[in-house]
Amino acid sequence: MGFLIDNTKCIGCRACQTACKQWNELPAEKTKFFGGEGYQNPKDLSGSTYTLIKFHEVIENDKLKDWGYWKKQCQHCLDPSCKYACPTGAIEKKEYGPVVWDDTKCLGCPDCREACPFDIPRFEGNLNPKIRKCTMCYDRLEEGLEPACVKACPTGATIFGKREQLLSIAEQRLASEPQKYHQYIYGKDEGGGTTVLYISSFELEKIGYPNN
Amino acid sequence: MEMNRRSFFKRSVFTLGTIISVFGFPYLAWAEKKKFKTTLTKETTTICPYCGVGCGMIVSTRDGKIINIEGDANHPINEGSLCSKGSALFQVVSNERRLDSVLYRAPGSANWEKKDWAWTLEKIAKNIKDTRNRTFVKEKDGQIVNRTDGIAQLGGAAHDTEECYLFSKLARALGIYWIDHQARLCHSSTVASLAATFGRGAMTNHYNDLQNSDVIMVMGSNIVEMHPLASKWIMKAKEKGAKIISSDPRFTRTSSIADIYTQFRSGTDIAYVGGMINYALQHDRIQKNYVVNCTNASFIVNDKYSFNDGLFAGYDPIKRKYNKDFLKYELDIEGNPKRDNSLQDPRCVFQLMKKHYQRYDVKTVCNTTGTPEEKYLEVCDLFTSTYPEDKSATWCYAMGSTQHTVGVQYIRTYAILQLLLGNIGIAGGGINALRGESNVQASTDMALLFHILPGYLASPSPDDVDLKAYIEKYTPKSKDPKSANWWGNYSKYITSLLKAWWGEHAQADTEGGYCYNYIPKKSGLHDHIHLFENIYKGKIEGLLAWGQNPAVGGPNSEKEREALGKLKWLVVAELWETETAQFWKRPNVNPADIQTEVFLLPACASLEKEGSVSNSGRWAQWRYAAIHPGDPDWHGDARSDLWIVDALFKCIKKEYLKNPGVFPDPLLKLNWDYGTGDEIDVNREPNAHYVASEINGYFIENGQRKGQVPGFAKLADNGSTACGNWIYCAGYVNWSDAEGIDKTASNYVKNELGEFSNRYAKRIAEKDEPKAQQLIAEGRAPGMNLNWSWCWPVNRRILYNRASVNQEGNPLNPTRWVIRWNPDLAEGKGAFEGDVPDGPWAPGEKHPFIMNEEGVGRLFSAKLNDGPFPEHYEPLESPISKNPFSGQMINPAIILLHQGDDLNKELNNVGSNNKFPIVATTMRLTEHWQAGAMTRNLPWQAELMPDLFVEISHELASIKDIANGDRVTVSSARGEISAYALVTRRLEPLVIMDGTTKCTVHQVAIPWHYGYAGIATGDSANILTPHVGDANTNIPEYKTFLCNIKKA
Repeated sequence: MGFLIDNTKCIGCRACQTACKQWNELPAEKTKFFGGEGYQNPKDLSGSTYTLIKFHEVIENDKLKDWGYWKKQCQHCLDPSCKYACPTGAIEKKEYGPVVWDDTKCLGCPDCREACPFDIPRFEGNLNPKIRKCTMCYDRLEEGLEPACVKACPTGATIFGKREQLLSIAEQRLASEPQKYHQYIYGKDEGGGTTVLYISSFELEKIGYPNN
Repeated sequence: MEMNRRSFFKRSVFTLGTIISVFGFPYLAWAEKKKFKTTLTKETTTICPYCGVGCGMIVSTRDGKIINIEGDANHPINEGSLCSKGSALFQVVSNERRLDSVLYRAPGSANWEKKDWAWTLEKIAKNIKDTRNRTFVKEKDGQIVNRTDGIAQLGGAAHDTEECYLFSKLARALGIYWIDHQARLCHSSTVASLAATFGRGAMTNHYNDLQNSDVIMVMGSNIVEMHPLASKWIMKAKEKGAKIISSDPRFTRTSSIADIYTQFRSGTDIAYVGGMINYALQHDRIQKNYVVNCTNASFIVNDKYSFNDGLFAGYDPIKRKYNKDFLKYELDIEGNPKRDNSLQDPRCVFQLMKKHYQRYDVKTVCNTTGTPEEKYLEVCDLFTSTYPEDKSATWCYAMGSTQHTVGVQYIRTYAILQLLLGNIGIAGGGINALRGESNVQASTDMALLFHILPGYLASPSPDDVDLKAYIEKYTPKSKDPKSANWWGNYSKYITSLLKAWWGEHAQADTEGGYCYNYIPKKSGLHDHIHLFENIYKGKIEGLLAWGQNPAVGGPNSEKEREALGKLKWLVVAELWETETAQFWKRPNVNPADIQTEVFLLPACASLEKEGSVSNSGRWAQWRYAAIHPGDPDWHGDARSDLWIVDALFKCIKKEYLKNPGVFPDPLLKLNWDYGTGDEIDVNREPNAHYVASEINGYFIENGQRKGQVPGFAKLADNGSTACGNWIYCAGYVNWSDAEGIDKTASNYVKNELGEFSNRYAKRIAEKDEPKAQQLIAEGRAPGMNLNWSWCWPVNRRILYNRASVNQEGNPLNPTRWVIRWNPDLAEGKGAFEGDVPDGPWAPGEKHPFIMNEEGVGRLFSAKLNDGPFPEHYEPLESPISKNPFSGQMINPAIILLHQGDDLNKELNNVGSNNKFPIVATTMRLTEHWQAGAMTRNLPWQAELMPDLFVEISHELASIKDIANGDRVTVSSARGEISAYALVTRRLEPLVIMDGTTKCTVHQVAIPWHYGYAGIATGDSANILTPHVGDANTNIPEYKTFLCNIKKA
């Protein structure tokens, strides 16, 4: 299972950020206006922020062409390098999608984050830090519910389903509106293939997402 | 609806169950697998308290604690989704900043003291009585006025309908006529404008109907940010091929999903849309049959009418007023307006309009607005391409349109254009006035406004000497047999209202007729701006503020804060300690200098009480209490506003019973019994169902209630019916009148008064209704959801839908029809099917716009104070020195307080474009809500938008040496504020003409949510905005003023 995030449908409302905090009972961070692009806040993922909408002004010939948004979260790689990097084997990739962990085994070392091509894992706690990141709301999946961020999304910019189906939806969209989309499915091959897939009107690589 | 888990929540399942079991859930990923958080919880449905979209939510509680709140997947509007505010509702309850006891601030004190309800209510009641005794005026200039000069009331658009109704009722019984609320500030110009055009002041269509549009024009609104769940239906329209246009002074999150974006100078919308009207007329892009049959295009205007250099005939420059006698139709012998259906007569509305808008050529328009001509023509072409019968376009607008000195006329331009294109009354069409508060529709309907009574009945003036004279004056007349002239029923609605309020005391011969004299008379304007000007002058000594925060939301807010300090007493009912509640200890003031006695009453949040709310599509939806007093998540002494207003009334009545005081009759005889007895009991909540049933109305026989009135057609003017608000009649009816017999249905109610159908609680979505699906398969437009909640009037989802069919009752657009005549229905007599039609008549029997005495939509409207056709005038503060369209710089009919008396002049400076060359506009953010208390107190929302900022262009930033993230000072003639600079390409300087000179105009945009209370704090943008309003409703001009900016 996985996500398909279609930036052309995203309205940057950040319902996903709050819905994630609400379901996962994550505290708010004390933030301030930091001069980032658009309205982004917090500044980065953290032990209490598992997903984050980033804003991007697409400029062409020194003029605004579009205002895009993209959702940063764990990519839930098909074969996650964090899993191999973890010295205690605390990280597990479930066959149906989520990359999860066992808190009792986590040492709070930075190895998983260093291994992650997307720089996702963060840690909670100073004395006894533990990895924190998107869990794909595995507890909801278990009950047959979609992840909290997917459910909250007003426009269906983030949808949830089987990766093969999502890939085929993504391909259909790229083909049916070639003008609208940058012709690329991000995540199809990146990181060895991820279960979070993106399609977008602009190149994600240009805004700091790593190339394959 | 309270049900066990798996009834609502689990119906939202993603189809994963089988897959998961294949892979062997459950597993242990965490050290100890947590119990699923909503296991064994109680579920309560509710409606989001933020904007006016009306999204459904499910609240999961366990043992009186709220466990989870998320979208209701069965709800047809949001289908389970929410925006960030809705997703954060949990923190409105789970929040240590909530008030949990009454707070009292003695005059001059620097501190709050905790008090109990009994002491507080008695003290407030004594204050009210004392002020009322001293300031009550029975007669003025020999005419009965029966009003209290010294007390004002504000709020509240976020309250339940039943609460609003009681605020309205109690205020009138107290003689309060200084009564206003958020609706004045947000959409008062909508109601005036749409009512003057179509007959009703409401959003014509509804959110789900956006999916039926071919073109969605968003101008005057930032729909995606302010009404995020509307985006669901815009996106569905897009998927079907619809085009979206966003025209806005700055590129917003709405613009980012638009097909065309145009920028323009704030304050020039009439030029912009006037040019579109001209384009439609010049290119013959009008729906000719519709224009002839459904509008007054063919009506001949009498020869007194003229228009010359920005002024219509009948203008008095001293009074700054028009004489509307110059705007009448030419009548035939029978007294009906003369018509020329060929539309060729030079004095017909069509030709006068054509002449008027010829002046709005592309060049003049674009030189005024700063929009590139090529882009502007793209917009004109796309929007007017919807003139054929099988095309639809809708216009979505909100505060960007309403809050101008020409706000009413902005909206008139949209209405005129939509009538010309035949886009009113159809699916995917209409004028969608987007409401920003969850219940501002009903708070307006319930008349928390000085100029109306519930149901849009006029607030009487002193020369409306008795009920007979009142009815005579306000009942429109028509001699056209095809005009339904529905307002001809005026007498029934006012009489039934008086019966609802004064019950058996209201008899034909009592107090001017049915206690008519008990209603306080208005004299002139008592709107928000004047209300605060009068507090400032010391003429009003007490203010009741129900959930309204003018210290942030009021225009020229520093003057309004100063004014608060001149009050003798102030009552604020709130969830939080708002800026208004703590104005006496705001930064830079000494509490010892402020002698106002302040009572801060802890109120309940939306999900802690029961009642209904009406969204902007007029859907009235019922909410339930998820927790109750004493529950672990309950905030101490907090009580619903329904409880507060009920208890307050009883305390006031007690005071008057002890010692009658001045004119006690309206209070002592007030019909008031909501199930709590005579004593104040903190554990006895009034029954919202009793209130809802009174609003709907009931029959009276021999002084006794005899069942609910099934619909407003059955209301009478002989005292045999009582009805709190005629437009809500049919919403809360006898169970036997209701559809179905299933007593487990969500709308079934049984209480001491009987068995009812509470139609606001209906929960059958269209997707679950085979009959609706069948009609949709036959071409009926989807989205009406006729059995989900109930909407006024009489559950009609698309207003003016008679205009969508021809004289035979066949839909003009058979692939997206709203109503159609089916001759087989009603035992062969025939009836309309689909939506509820505008009136029961057979096709062709009546004209389509049944609320207008002409029976048609008004392209030319004589109802307004500033002219029959919209005309461009510059804002009060303009960056240019000459109006490109005429010699009239500003709206000639507005009130200029800065030229008024000395106290009006104080703190009312107007800025010049030499000193303040930059155009400023205020705006809102998805993440915050209105004056901010409901989001700036939530840690999650504060995290998303922690600080005040101002959006400025790269070019302006470069001129002023400002970098992104710098602190800047923004100043206007009223004051200055400090903010972060957000430097963006989403704003660009505009090139416009000032006379013959080309000039560059810079614009900045500032969110107005911030204030000095809460977690996320910042200066209030309204410190900068002026006390000036529109010519019809005095809605403040928040959206355009002049400023300057510098690096701090």
